[in-house]
Amino acid sequence: MSGQTVTPALRGIDLEINQGELFMLVGPSGCGKTTLISILAGILLQDTGTCTVLGQNFKEMKDSARTAFRGATLGFVFQAYNLIPTLTAVENVSIPLLLLGTPRAEAEARAAAVLAKVGLAGRERSRPAQLSGGQQQRVAIARALVHNPQVIVCDEPTSALDKDAGHNVMELFREVAMDDNRTLVIVTHDNRIFQFADRIAVMSDGKIEQITSDVTNLH
Amino acid sequence: MHIAIKMLVGNRGKYFGMVFGVFLSAMIITQQSSIFTGLISRTFGFLTDTTYPDIWVMDPMVQYVDDFKPMTDTKLLQVRGIDGVASAVPLYKGVLRARLEDGSFQQTNVIGLDDASLTGGPPVMLAGSVADLRKSDGIIVDEAGNNKRFAKKNPIPGGPKIPLAIGDTLEINDKRGVVVGIARVQRTFQTNPVIYTTYSRAMSFAPKERKLLTYILVKVHPGTAIETVATRITKLTGLQALTNAQFSDSTVTYFLKNTGIPINFGIAVILGLIIGTAICGQTFYGFTLDNVRYFGALKAMGASNVVLLKMIFLQALLVGLIGYGSGTGVASLFYFLSKNSELAFRLPWQILAITGCAVTFTCLIAALLSMLKVIFLEPAIVFKGE
Repeated sequence: MSGQTVTPALRGIDLEINQGELFMLVGPSGCGKTTLISILAGILLQDTGTCTVLGQNFKEMKDSARTAFRGATLGFVFQAYNLIPTLTAVENVSIPLLLLGTPRAEAEARAAAVLAKVGLAGRERSRPAQLSGGQQQRVAIARALVHNPQVIVCDEPTSALDKDAGHNVMELFREVAMDDNRTLVIVTHDNRIFQFADRIAVMSDGKIEQITSDVTNLH
Repeated sequence: MHIAIKMLVGNRGKYFGMVFGVFLSAMIITQQSSIFTGLISRTFGFLTDTTYPDIWVMDPMVQYVDDFKPMTDTKLLQVRGIDGVASAVPLYKGVLRARLEDGSFQQTNVIGLDDASLTGGPPVMLAGSVADLRKSDGIIVDEAGNNKRFAKKNPIPGGPKIPLAIGDTLEINDKRGVVVGIARVQRTFQTNPVIYTTYSRAMSFAPKERKLLTYILVKVHPGTAIETVATRITKLTGLQALTNAQFSDSTVTYFLKNTGIPINFGIAVILGLIIGTAICGQTFYGFTLDNVRYFGALKAMGASNVVLLKMIFLQALLVGLIGYGSGTGVASLFYFLSKNSELAFRLPWQILAITGCAVTFTCLIAALLSMLKVIFLEPAIVFKGE
């Protein structure tokens, strides 16, 4: 050993998220939110304990099976959107379908339909640089929805948006993303959107300090 | 795969940078290798022109085609008497000085053909015929030499030089030579003009020496193994007996071993490879680094390592193919344009294959560096923001 102290990123986490729930993880920077959603999304494996998503224990799955499971059942909305700048909106949105083996024409048709659903009809051929921040976020949401995943993981979806745009995005999540009993896990700092959550978990120093469904009860 | 291509070509600056790296590499390797091959093939150009003999017989110390170590004429009779030899004719080859009409001198390769058969004559006659050598003082001059080195001054000041025509004369060692034909021959390594004449006339041109027979050209009986007869000639006469291919090989080997040609061209080819690999590798790796968070996002969204590696491989393949095509295309254009010039440029398919291998190597190195980055990419990077 080099003599450095090993600090666990997460400690004593005991959390159950229900199907059809809009669940928010909040807390200060460095409290372990990103680590926790990485584990929930099967991107990172925990050192100890168990994480089960839709009945699948990620730690017992092979890397390839976990990747395939993630592709089929999870949707992602990243903080920086991570839209590929050289692709058009419809091409960006069609990526999850293409990764699942859907033929390109069909994937783009379905992507265009989802873009229309999020209010971007007519902007299918626009590149990310030609869209506003709010529109880019809508493209990212459409990309997370296009393959009908059962769980959507969002990382700071409103951090780059003003209050109104942030509210619009959350309303969109409520309208579109929560269809079909879908589960939404949102990591956020943004207390302007707490009101949209069914439940909120407050994290601090790698632990969940509080879980509440009452925004006014947060401390 | 569509995404991979759009990711690649969408960033025009990087894309053209990568293609340019491979283009430069392919062009330098093809061009330098072609000039190298052209120069080397000129070393045995005379052997390429003289396809008649099955076996070249010469002094055992001869190392290459212009390494003149003459033999006595009696060796010809010895060779003719060997079992399996259908015919054996003498051939003189030497470098003599020709005096031109204006009084200047020009070093020239003189080839003396067997008087009776005129075996070993030039492959392509542009004017006159090989048989015209039987005319008094007849000589045949080569086209390239005639157009430049042997050409006469134009009586009009500043006018282009005038090539010799049939009937014009040259002086070789104070002996008169009358042009009876113009031939097209392979360029020689020394770039001297070439004069064909009869063996006996060449003897009169050459300074008096006890030995003047340079080569004996042997044709073997049909159905007889050439190698067997060559071995027999060496065993019975002590002379060196080589097939055309063996003589060409020994000539090339001599030049490769005893001149700086391979080193000079080798350095240029290696430089091309290094420059191409460096530009392409660095740009391709930079391109991957720029896209690493998108690869991370793709990985998070369910793209397996195999899919991502296929994407990078396809991108490298595309860059390689376009760079290779344009690089070898420009080199081929250069070859086409220089076809009738004095430039030694030879572009056999093997050079294109070698360049293809070098470009594949360049792209593989570039792709490998990028692949390592992507394989060990932690997809959680996508949750870390910008």
